[in-house]
Amino acid sequence: MHDDLVDRLTAGDPSALARCISLMERGGAAADRIYRRVCPRVGGATVIGFTGAPGAGKSTLIDAYIAALRVRGASVAVAAVDPSSPISGGAVLGDRARMWRHAEDPGVFIRSVASHGHLGGLSESMHRIVDVMDVAGRDFIIIETVGAGQSEVEVVEIADVCVVVNAPNMGDEVQAMKAGILEIADVLVVNKSDLPLAQRTTKQLTNMLELRRENRDVPVVETVALTETGIDALHDAITRRLAAGAGDKQKRRERRMRRLIADRAGRIVRDLVGDADGGDLADLVHAAASGEIGIDAAARRALKAVL
Amino acid sequence: MSKEAVQLSLPGFEQAHGRWRAEYGRQIGTDRVIRNRSQIEIKPLYTPRDWNGESFLDDLGFPGQFPYTRGIYPTMHRGRTWTQRQLIGLGTPEDYNKRVRVILDAGATAISLLPCNSGFRGVDCDEVDPVLLGTCGTVINTTDHMDRALDGVPLGNISTAMNDPSPFTLLAFTLAVAKRRGIPWTSITGTSNQSDYISHFIANHMFYRLSLAGARRVLLDHIEFCRKHVPGWNPVSVVGQHMQQAGATPVETMAFTLSTALQYAQDCIDRGMDIDVVLRRFTFFFDISISFFEEVAKFRAGRRIWARLARERLGAKDPGSWRFKFHGQTSGVDLTEQQPLNNIARVAVQAMAGIMSGLQSLHTDAYDEAITTPTEETARIAVATQNILREEAHLCDVIDPLGGSYYVETLTDQMESEIEVLIGKIDAAGGMYKAAESGLVQSMIGTSALAFQERVERGEEKIIGVNCYQNDSGPSLSRATERPDLDRMTDHVARFQAYKEARSQGDVRRALDALARAANSERENVYERIVEAAEAGITHGEIVSCLRKELGFGHPLVVV
Amino acid sequence: MSLATLSPPARVLVTKIGLDGHDRGSRIVAAFLRDAGMEVIYTPPWQSIPAVVKLAMEEDVDVIGISSLATDHLIVPKLTDALRAAGLGHVGVVVGGIVPEDERAVLIDAGVHAIFGPGSARDEIIQHVALLAAKVRETKDAELAEIAQ
Repeated sequence: MHDDLVDRLTAGDPSALARCISLMERGGAAADRIYRRVCPRVGGATVIGFTGAPGAGKSTLIDAYIAALRVRGASVAVAAVDPSSPISGGAVLGDRARMWRHAEDPGVFIRSVASHGHLGGLSESMHRIVDVMDVAGRDFIIIETVGAGQSEVEVVEIADVCVVVNAPNMGDEVQAMKAGILEIADVLVVNKSDLPLAQRTTKQLTNMLELRRENRDVPVVETVALTETGIDALHDAITRRLAAGAGDKQKRRERRMRRLIADRAGRIVRDLVGDADGGDLADLVHAAASGEIGIDAAARRALKAVL
Repeated sequence: MSKEAVQLSLPGFEQAHGRWRAEYGRQIGTDRVIRNRSQIEIKPLYTPRDWNGESFLDDLGFPGQFPYTRGIYPTMHRGRTWTQRQLIGLGTPEDYNKRVRVILDAGATAISLLPCNSGFRGVDCDEVDPVLLGTCGTVINTTDHMDRALDGVPLGNISTAMNDPSPFTLLAFTLAVAKRRGIPWTSITGTSNQSDYISHFIANHMFYRLSLAGARRVLLDHIEFCRKHVPGWNPVSVVGQHMQQAGATPVETMAFTLSTALQYAQDCIDRGMDIDVVLRRFTFFFDISISFFEEVAKFRAGRRIWARLARERLGAKDPGSWRFKFHGQTSGVDLTEQQPLNNIARVAVQAMAGIMSGLQSLHTDAYDEAITTPTEETARIAVATQNILREEAHLCDVIDPLGGSYYVETLTDQMESEIEVLIGKIDAAGGMYKAAESGLVQSMIGTSALAFQERVERGEEKIIGVNCYQNDSGPSLSRATERPDLDRMTDHVARFQAYKEARSQGDVRRALDALARAANSERENVYERIVEAAEAGITHGEIVSCLRKELGFGHPLVVV
Repeated sequence: MSLATLSPPARVLVTKIGLDGHDRGSRIVAAFLRDAGMEVIYTPPWQSIPAVVKLAMEEDVDVIGISSLATDHLIVPKLTDALRAAGLGHVGVVVGGIVPEDERAVLIDAGVHAIFGPGSARDEIIQHVALLAAKVRETKDAELAEIAQ
């Protein structure tokens, strides 16, 4: 049963890893079988999420950070996520091109992943992709996402450390940039810190942290990704946060599972209610339309009807 | 500025116009809306109602007078014809030298040098697969190479255009050669044709070597160095060619190019340079497409806008600073692989547009330029085209011959308005440097490129031999493609490697350390160290690699 | 277009090897393929052959589209050799751009599936790439089914 493929995967064969990732993306019985087999071996890798608005220099920063990891002898896998077009379902995946330095290094495995229309920005199979990378023996797994919408929430569930990358001169975007993203940060980075307004951005972030009641211990690291300045400091900050947050991995995993199950349950029910043409439901719809019953009540009755 | 319908007091005009309109309407059948490449609607007829010369002095003026719409000099081509400046580059330095001697013997006073693609990539010839070398340009990696390439070329008497982006090693090698020959740098004239790093970042990634910030620094140092030591050299050429070739419309091209010029001018002002001294040495480089009237209008509008920007916005006082000097190259993007001889006609039309726009120098493409580097024969035809236009069609006899045409003046005004709107957009984005950094310009260009392609696909944009009048008989080119001799090239590479080994490694180390130190210091002039390094025998690849390390590797922002 | 889109979508690499840097064409093709529902891994020009092979393997691509001008096509056989040596001979390779007539046979012999000249229509390119991707997927699935025995 896919013995050869799984053996090659756990032995670290990159082409087996690539095929397994494709299988996980596709889903289905074969994928489930393989995943069941490898699941027990998950846990050796450190997963770091990088997020932040476009233009902050995320990819360049990751490129520099990977170099720092390689210098320390670690092997790396990267999942670079880009959104799929909601219209065609296709995507242009261009992040890996920015990690040009590692284009020929077998110690750095890079995979571009489309969001496949998944509202959260990360496809459902993302944690499986990360897990097979883990099982393939990679020491560090980096997830790169665009900091927009809900993908950050998902990154928190999968990553051990979340790094949120900011850059000066992005105007009000830093503020507006949904206190949401900044909330999930384990490490905050101010990239392009050689620019004149960088000090201000650092100050804004530090001020925001001081106003918090909890989770104020978030380091703010200044970097200039282009010239690899501040990368060691970034690594130190990440390492310290890892040490502080050790042990939460299982809880995070379970939280993600619960949410995935709830989301899926919601979708199943939505489809059932949407497709049903039984008489009961039609009456329910009519009643709701004329204001006899409220939507909440109608929804609860619909649930009872279809399940 | 847009013009409302002009008031006329010609008796009978309205009636005659109305009669024409009625007859036109009856006979034309279904008329369709026609737009040019910039999407400006083109009417079937233009009359004094559209433009009547009322504002002649303000908007047109005379050649050599502000705002220079009709030409930047009083005599224009009638006094001195445009400079024929054909780009050449192929193979080894010896191959280049052979070609350039032919051109000089034929009386040329201006030459141009196009380096090999490997050079554009910032590497030396021993770092790439030899089959790729010298196919689109000449391999020149050292002062010795340049010496051989320019053997017998009177450096002090001719003007050279170096198609070399930042960090401008080709000029550095040339200056080193001049020194060897005892030619003072003050008599070296020419242009750094590809100094516009912003346009490379946006639209020609092949030329983009250093990070944006690094290229910015090197350009400013280059400008200062030339001002001090090579005063006859034009260190800045603002390039519209790449953006138009990447799909920007003519309006977009002119707007983005002028915005870039504003950015560079501002950078110079911020550095404390005298704006008048700087602007006198600003030149522009454009593509000329086959959209004939649109190109003429584009350049006339550009000239007018630049004069005003230079005087009013940049505060330049010297009229020499207000003059929009430009080199035009016929656009290779309009040429086709199918039925290549058709391209001779295309190039002639493009060249006409450029000449009638009042350009200062012109390069005409060879008919096979879309496919390969020109042969001697195809290069000859390209030059003959210019000669025919000058001598037989007498295009030099009248200055701004299309001036006063109701169509051309109206179109010039319209394009001017649209260009100014776009310049405003770039201003709002914080200037061209920031707009490029953020990808704004790239996505606008990408949209235009895609739109054009779709029009071609739909058959709205007709291209003879491609989507109409196709002819499937036989191969497109009747001869095998000319390539540099592989043996000679491998030989050249071997000699180069031997040369590198024979150098004193201590000297090499010292020169590169000095270069690195300069890059990291704010006060030293990096370009001075580049020239010193060239004189010390450092190679192109070594210089670029050092600067990439210290100033950042140039990775263009890719926007699909 | 009547061809059903693959699920998950076809994965196509659009790239340039060699020295030429003109990427207007390859960017337009990448956009076409995305709009036709494919996942396009897009790189800037000047990719080395080892980098392309590594990418093709890691990304499990179905088709590689090489955009070629100047003499870049001369090294395409080196790419197809390297792909085969890495066990990626099943990946489809197509070339777009300017390839002189008398140099096309060499490419086809080296395993290039199709050469698209500058006049190629969008639909023609999309159809071809989609069909090729579907064929490659079939091969990969068959391989997988074997392993599953």
